[in-house]
Amino acid sequence: MAATATTSSATGARSIGGERLKETLVGYGFIAGPMLVYGLLFFYPIAYSIYISRYDWGALGKISSRGSGNYRDLLHDHRFGLAVKNGLKFTIGFAVFSMALGLFVAVVVNNAVRARTFFRSAYYFPSIASSAAITAIALFVLSADGIFNKLTGLHHAWFGESGTALWAIVGLNSWTTSGTVMLFYLAYLQAIPTEVYEAAAIDGAGAWRTFWKVTFPLLKPGHFFVSTLLVIGGLKMFDQAFIASGGSGGPNNSTLVPVLYLYRVAFYDVRFGYAAAIGLALMLLMFTLTLIQRLTFGRAEAA
Amino acid sequence: MSRRRAFVAAALALTVVAAAVAGTSLGGAKKHHGASGTVVLSGWAANPDELKLLKQVIRGFQKTYPQIKVDYQPITGDYVATMLAKFSARQPPDVFYIDSNVFLDWVTQGLLDPLDSYAAASKFSSKPFFPSLLNGFKYKGKIYGYPKDWSPLAMEVNTALAAKAGVNPAKIKTWNDLTAAAKKLKPVMGGDAKPICLNPSWDRALAFVYQNGGSFLNPSKTKSTIDSPAAAAAMNYYVGLVKQGLADIPAKLSVGWCGEALGKQKAAIIFEGNWLFPFMASTFPDVQFVTERMIMNKQHGNLAFTVSYSMAKDSKNKPAAWQLIRYLVSKPGMKTWTSKGLALPSRSDVPPVAGRSAFLQDAPAAHPWQFAPRFSQVIDTANNDLSAVIEGKKSVSDMLKHIQDTANSTLGH
Amino acid sequence: MAGGDVPTEKGFVPPAEAPLVPPSPPAVEELAFAGEAAAGVLAGIPGRTGVERTRTIVVYTLLGAIALVYFVPFLWTISTSLKSLPETEQFNLLPHHPTLHAYHDVLTTFHFLRYAANSAGLAATVTVLNVFLCSLGGYAFARLRFPGREVLFMAVLATLMIPDQLRLVPIFVKFSQWHLLGHYHAYVLIKLASAAQLFLMRQYFLTIPRDLEEAAKLDGAGYFKTFWKVMLPLAGPAIAAVAILEFEGTWNDFFWPLIIFTTAPSHFTLPVGIFSFVTTYQTQWPQLMAGSAIAIAPIAVIYLFFQRYFVAGVASAGVKG
Repeated sequence: MAATATTSSATGARSIGGERLKETLVGYGFIAGPMLVYGLLFFYPIAYSIYISRYDWGALGKISSRGSGNYRDLLHDHRFGLAVKNGLKFTIGFAVFSMALGLFVAVVVNNAVRARTFFRSAYYFPSIASSAAITAIALFVLSADGIFNKLTGLHHAWFGESGTALWAIVGLNSWTTSGTVMLFYLAYLQAIPTEVYEAAAIDGAGAWRTFWKVTFPLLKPGHFFVSTLLVIGGLKMFDQAFIASGGSGGPNNSTLVPVLYLYRVAFYDVRFGYAAAIGLALMLLMFTLTLIQRLTFGRAEAA
Repeated sequence: MSRRRAFVAAALALTVVAAAVAGTSLGGAKKHHGASGTVVLSGWAANPDELKLLKQVIRGFQKTYPQIKVDYQPITGDYVATMLAKFSARQPPDVFYIDSNVFLDWVTQGLLDPLDSYAAASKFSSKPFFPSLLNGFKYKGKIYGYPKDWSPLAMEVNTALAAKAGVNPAKIKTWNDLTAAAKKLKPVMGGDAKPICLNPSWDRALAFVYQNGGSFLNPSKTKSTIDSPAAAAAMNYYVGLVKQGLADIPAKLSVGWCGEALGKQKAAIIFEGNWLFPFMASTFPDVQFVTERMIMNKQHGNLAFTVSYSMAKDSKNKPAAWQLIRYLVSKPGMKTWTSKGLALPSRSDVPPVAGRSAFLQDAPAAHPWQFAPRFSQVIDTANNDLSAVIEGKKSVSDMLKHIQDTANSTLGH
Repeated sequence: MAGGDVPTEKGFVPPAEAPLVPPSPPAVEELAFAGEAAAGVLAGIPGRTGVERTRTIVVYTLLGAIALVYFVPFLWTISTSLKSLPETEQFNLLPHHPTLHAYHDVLTTFHFLRYAANSAGLAATVTVLNVFLCSLGGYAFARLRFPGREVLFMAVLATLMIPDQLRLVPIFVKFSQWHLLGHYHAYVLIKLASAAQLFLMRQYFLTIPRDLEEAAKLDGAGYFKTFWKVMLPLAGPAIAAVAILEFEGTWNDFFWPLIIFTTAPSHFTLPVGIFSFVTTYQTQWPQLMAGSAIAIAPIAVIYLFFQRYFVAGVASAGVKG
């Protein structure tokens, strides 16, 4: 009896060691597919991008070494500066409008007693429709003799004038993204305990005052979360500007946003080296902005 | 749809007939060409009339060269970006269109194969081609493409609207005539329509600069000359038409281009080339218009748009590709291609169809729409500036100075 | 991880412990119920006061108005797609002479049937592969112990920080060297294993109690069998969310098909087809609207049936670019 017990515990120890090794191998095996993909399609390309960025690189490959020349060009490239400016302008407009719209819709939906789920689902729908199709629809609705002008009595070729084209895209994307924003705000709104409202009601605060004095400040984590997502999403905007301008970034460069400029340098000017440098610069810009945002909100949160 | 279906049916019928003819004459076909295999031919998507003619030319080629198969793959979407992607992917078509405007960008990237040695080997003469057009496809003394056709601009006027306004299109010869005609047309244009449609781009505006004695580059193409009083006056006139409410740009007229504005009667006067005719015939067959010689000011001035057939350096079947190019730009090939007047022949030994005098009269005044390597970026900037000027966000003199600086820095590159 | 209860959709939220991911909102689904109760409290007993009635009227008027603004563009799209070009100049919502001409035109002459088939085929392939690879990987990261697990998981999360568009140049150049451009499998490779979905699966597996797994192990089941027979069936809701998000994302994707298939028009997906139509034919509105409707309709139908999974997946999907 004692003998069997020792034997079994000895094999047990050995099998635990073997089990460990097996678990490790199985673990690596299970993650091998995805890790290979990330290595091959994320980390390697980023490294390769740094390599390309040091060359004058055309349609048929390397032309000549440029050292840091592409990066120096970046500093003097007024179109790049313009693209970044447009990108920031778009991002700020987009973040502000979709947050305002999303929050408004969320508050209204949150006050519905019946059919709330129905309205929530309905308003979310534009968020999941194809960006290309939505842009095509916007081209039609916002054309000079389109229905938008007809209904509002305005007279603009919204995508055809440099003063309005970018704002038309801001409006378009705020509309589609507001559904997503609404979902997030709804979740945060519903996390606010009802006692808070009851207390406000007892104090005799009206709906408007309650919203600004109670609800809005309590949503601060929501504001942070949503704005972070919107800022990153806004800087990456491409589909709508590309399709609305037919790939040109026009009229008069007004819809030339950073990623669209990158695309143009790569595929219209065939300067892959320079495009790679632009890509890396943009990545740096996005990291910096996210960091700044995190720090400001972090400090506000602590205060 | 019915039009289209009729066209498809006709094309099919023709294919059958041609195949039968080819079959019978096969025995007689000369077998001395060594080339064989498949050749991929690409161009931008053609309209049905162009397609019909191109297929007809290709059939003619197949009759003479039955052992070469032509695979026609038109490119939809953006032609330049798609072609550059194909070059980068090392999958270019063997034979393709090049617009004179981007030729220098492509040839300096090493994407094209020179054709001189092929021409010499098969005793193909480039003499019949108009030199000014052929020169558009020469680089460092070598020929990288033969012009397939060309067209300058002319003035097209809606007949009914002109009659209604009491304007005689044939009498619109100068800038002053144009302004006067536009003023008369203004009251008869309905809604947001305008007498004239103008492109906010230099591939129209530059013709006006030439009409006023200005130019974009100096003759040796080493310096930009656009910042001149002559150009400034021309551009002030061009933009002034919009400012006075006599003209507008396509976007403001809710159309894609000025041809569509003429078709939808959003404008009565436009400035387009031969490509307008198939479009109007197929999309707006009921709209009547006349074609007049391009207007002038101090002198006649016009732009020559031309497109070549060229061969990719990465072509896998160069002997066959050459035979195809050679046939496409040969006298019989071009005769078929230009037989419906969709474009003007680029060979002097192929006569244009009748009724093209408005274009031919202005041919001597036509400057090639071509500048220098990397100029697509300069033209981009120039077009953006022009949009800004039309919108009143920039002055003409600021624009010209900016374009000149950009052009000069690109030339010095 | 409260003991033994059956997992629900609430596990979808990125946890605070993952430093690279923005802080999480409360789970959307779970709170819907709490919220309904709260609103009930606020609204009070039916017919309590006139104020309440006014409030209800205001709220539902606003809801109706928002719905109108949000859906007029879609209605207008459908209406226009049933018109002829001359009729688009009139502003009637109901076409006088409804016709399917535009649909017939885009499906045949403008190849949208082909584009739709491409979109569907790619979306289905990408979805199946993602469900498999991400659940396998997610399970390993959640449950198996192996050296370097934390570092590797950080690497997975790091890929979420790399904007897709910035991989454009190196991927295009590399794919052209590898002769991948213009092939369906090149696109599938790009979308093979989404880090966001892998993350979502891992989070879900973390919420499943270990007891069930232990039981399977005692029965002598191997790792893959435990995963396949025990864990995967338990992860149904997460898999549904991954599948739906991935299908929607691929169906709607414009950027990568544009890059990969530029050289091969026969491989265009619907979004790229729409772009190509816009640049070439611009203002043929009925056809363009018909094409757009074709691109939107399948997702709308899926949404109609599986909305809760769309909503549940939002937390990990973030904002569309």
